Amino acid sequence: MTEPPKEPVRYVETTVHLPYHYVAGDVRARYLAALKEKKILGARCSRTGKVFVPPLVASPESFAPCDELVEVADRGVVTTFCVVNLPVIGRNIEIPYVASSVALDGADISIFALVQECRPEDVRMGMRVEAVWKPDGERQGDHQDIQYFRPTGEPDAPRESFLHRL
Amino acid sequence: MAPLRNVAVVGFAQAPIVTRDERRVATEILYPQVRRALTECGVERDAIDYQVAGSADYVDGRPFGFVAALDVTGSWPPRQDLHLEMDAAFAAYYAWVRMQAGDCDSAIVCGYGKNSEGELERVLNLELDPYYQAPIGLTPTATAALQASAYLARTGTLDRTLAEVAARNRVAGARNPDALLREPATADDLARTPWAVAPLRQGYLAPTGDSAVCLVMAAEGKAEAMCDRPAWIRGLDQRIELQTLGARDLAASAGARLAAEKALAMAGMRTAHEADVVELAAANPAEELILLDALGLATADGGPPINPSGGPLCGHPFMMTGLVRLGEAFRQLAGRAGDHAVPRARIAIAHAAQGHCLQQNLFFVLGAERRWT
Repeated sequence: MTEPPKEPVRYVETTVHLPYHYVAGDVRARYLAALKEKKILGARCSRTGKVFVPPLVASPESFAPCDELVEVADRGVVTTFCVVNLPVIGRNIEIPYVASSVALDGADISIFALVQECRPEDVRMGMRVEAVWKPDGERQGDHQDIQYFRPTGEPDAPRESFLHRL
Repeated sequence: MAPLRNVAVVGFAQAPIVTRDERRVATEILYPQVRRALTECGVERDAIDYQVAGSADYVDGRPFGFVAALDVTGSWPPRQDLHLEMDAAFAAYYAWVRMQAGDCDSAIVCGYGKNSEGELERVLNLELDPYYQAPIGLTPTATAALQASAYLARTGTLDRTLAEVAARNRVAGARNPDALLREPATADDLARTPWAVAPLRQGYLAPTGDSAVCLVMAAEGKAEAMCDRPAWIRGLDQRIELQTLGARDLAASAGARLAAEKALAMAGMRTAHEADVVELAAANPAEELILLDALGLATADGGPPINPSGGPLCGHPFMMTGLVRLGEAFRQLAGRAGDHAVPRARIAIAHAAQGHCLQQNLFFVLGAERRWT
């Protein structure tokens, strides 16, 4: 073998372009359309009765179909939370902010949500919160339709009421 | 060889292949197939020890997307699981290996991933070498045409023969309710279709589509209760060839030939002519001819029916096409092939492939009788 070139090629530029076109699916489509109407849908497991939000076609836990869509409340309880001091990729959010699991009233699992309109140090497990929706006419039927959750000022929920929904 | 554990295919469910499922995501297509396959076996999910799957995240563009399937495969309480970035038929191979190890007696094998959500030709370009092959724009259709061209030149096979092979598949597919293309076509029709990449015409290419499949396997002692006519695995082998296309003889498939020889020998067969039916994962007629050559079936004087399901030319749900072949072989032996049944089938060969120009090949030999006593 001869010597490699004195000025080697150090990089090869490769552009990968892979377009995708995702179908929402009937269940997600109904869930997203409901957000536009300020409604949150879940799906009820036909075996255990548990309600999953967002809705699923089957219970991951029981393997039974979830064939009934039910409306749950747009308010609930902070089950667990963390205070984020790192910038978020892709979202313009002032730090620190509170990322929380919120168990909506009527749901058996929690969703992830921002908690705002309060100081991070005031957030606690059991705190009651409600959704702050985008104004009428601005909701698009996507997850940004709920801007964040804020405290309702109601008394805290007792721990037993949410410990199974962490 | 030393006796191995007898393992059988005991159930199979497939979503009919469609060009594009507008109403369900991949896991939503899969869920009913898992339910149907278990119902067919008369068991609850808890009766299954092991779960394996094959899919490729790039196909439908969901990084780490395979974990989403866990939510619809009954994966609670926590299960032992294996996922392959391979056609799901290779996952069935590993389920068999696992059962030989003796620590599980039953498994579900799932294949899924919506072909329609991305652009497979672009995705499969990335399967090639990133410095020399992928940047020049090679796609699976182009590499398949290179292979077809090499095969035609080596053997003197004519375009007319490719049209006849494709037409035979299309006529068969008209009898398979799960096929994507159910309109029969004649060799004349197909020989008039425009060139896709010469020497392959548009009518010679396997149409990709959306589906999901679940196959159930069980070892002797469990299998009998799950199926009245289990399809026993009598032999199997898989071989992989080199990545550099130029380093391979594309006019033949050395890997397919060796895998076929090993699988047949394991099954105690002298020749593939002893099989009653063969299902091949051939994505075009030249591939089918190359595979028949590898099996020693490339003679004009009869032989077992090839692809009575219509084969991939009547529906090619990429990443599960091979598992569908295994499922079809099971259907033939279990008496569940309906209008496309091969009468009195006792031995079936199923093939799966992955990669450009048949890079990886897997053969199963299934039989109505156990192999080892």
